[in-house]
Amino acid sequence: MSLTLYHWEPNANSGKPMLTLAEKGVAYQSHYLDLLRFDQHQPAYLAINPDGTIPAMVHGSRVLTESTPMMEYIDDEFPGPPLKPRDPKARWRMRWWMRFFDAYFAPSLSMIGWQIFVGPAVRQRPPEELRAAVDRIPLESRRIAWRKAIFNEFSAEELAESKRRVLFATAALERHLSRFKWIAGDSYSLGDINGFNLGYALPLSQPDHCNDVKTPHIMEWLRQIYERPAARETWAKGRTQMAARIKILERTPQVS
Amino acid sequence: MLELYTSEPNTFFLKPLIALAEKRVPFSLRYFDAAGLEQFAGGFPTDLESTLRLEREGPLLVHDGTTICGSFFMLEYISEALPGPSLIPADSYEAYQARAWGQFLGANLGSSVPVLGAAKYLQPHLAKLDPAWVDRRIAAIEPVERRAGWQALRDGTYSAGYLQAAVDRLAAPVVRIETSLRQSPWLAGPTFSVADIDAYSMLCVLPDLTPAMVNPDATPRIIDYLGRISARDSVLTARRCARTQHPERQFVPGIEASRWG
Repeated sequence: MSLTLYHWEPNANSGKPMLTLAEKGVAYQSHYLDLLRFDQHQPAYLAINPDGTIPAMVHGSRVLTESTPMMEYIDDEFPGPPLKPRDPKARWRMRWWMRFFDAYFAPSLSMIGWQIFVGPAVRQRPPEELRAAVDRIPLESRRIAWRKAIFNEFSAEELAESKRRVLFATAALERHLSRFKWIAGDSYSLGDINGFNLGYALPLSQPDHCNDVKTPHIMEWLRQIYERPAARETWAKGRTQMAARIKILERTPQVS
Repeated sequence: MLELYTSEPNTFFLKPLIALAEKRVPFSLRYFDAAGLEQFAGGFPTDLESTLRLEREGPLLVHDGTTICGSFFMLEYISEALPGPSLIPADSYEAYQARAWGQFLGANLGSSVPVLGAAKYLQPHLAKLDPAWVDRRIAAIEPVERRAGWQALRDGTYSAGYLQAAVDRLAAPVVRIETSLRQSPWLAGPTFSVADIDAYSMLCVLPDLTPAMVNPDATPRIIDYLGRISARDSVLTARRCARTQHPERQFVPGIEASRWG
């Protein structure tokens, strides 16, 4: 059965199936969509995913569009090292944290990222072209998000609340990783893949709050994932400065 | 040792009761009055996950010392950790669909259905209690996101426009569910799964809360689906855990809506 992944940069939701497939050693056809050129709202892609969200995976006749359940599918369906713990309690912990990342941490972090990176990157183009591009977005919630990012309409209160949540969630993650080596417990899992895609650039974007002094467990966790061959392979597929941020995780040579 | 901390069998609190009844596993029921804010009174088992957020006031399952929270993942946990029939499809793509529904329903029904129920039943219920006591209880709720959900009931947030927006947010998900039930008898395909327990627990109150949207003419498949699930032994067993005359009228404010719009 053919396997095609429609994705953007190794980052956030796109990076989740990319890193999972790399960990499993599964070959796939890569179809890069440029989020900043609205490729995901073009008719060719809407024929595959009518919601116009990235990523989407097509396995034979099966279409998958939700990135976190997509990771579980990849682990269930393909051979390679298992990425879900066998113990049901560890599995629950993995899923609980993935929802915390997806539903609480990521929306706040990405609101800041969209305001800083995505908005200015697309704002170069003529406003009427941007308005037409926004009007083509199928989901109302995504339309609102894009409109706010493009036209810089995030309010100071919204951004302050997002920042508060990012710091709260960072502190919670540090507490968690001081209890357990990995998100699920003893073993590397989809939970770590999910969290890494969300947080690999935290030391760069929140240097005062995510660093070797304040969050040593997060730093070590991020570096250990960065050193995995699958992560190297996945982030080498990045085409923008966004993916290049991962270099912050290089261990600096220790001076003795 | 298996203990379930839950309230009246409705919405979030109904889900694990159905799953445990499907499994026919014995457990100890620890009942609390969610409409009386007992979930914030202390004395509950806690862990980092249960104190953080999401459905903080929802049910808790304590199994051999581990506190399981988050009602959809609790269903998956019950399916995987306890003996009895599996509630997750064996086929990987159907399992994907069950999980994708869990994600979709949590975001789309979990934030709207409880608001409508709380406006109709919880708000008048709180109005009958001593206002100073209610305000004190609400002021003590942690974390702030949960407190804000309860304060919204008291501070005028529940305007006609706010409630209409909650109704409007339901329109697309209801159509999606109705359409899916035209393709297969259950949400994830040919077998009853955690997705159906999750969906049923939220959808079953909509014929009452949004009669113009969910009714035999507008959504015949959903009405048939609710009827099929209501007749299951597991649901009848779960509903027998009620301690009030009208468990279908007990609501908590639910998951917050997306902050992006």
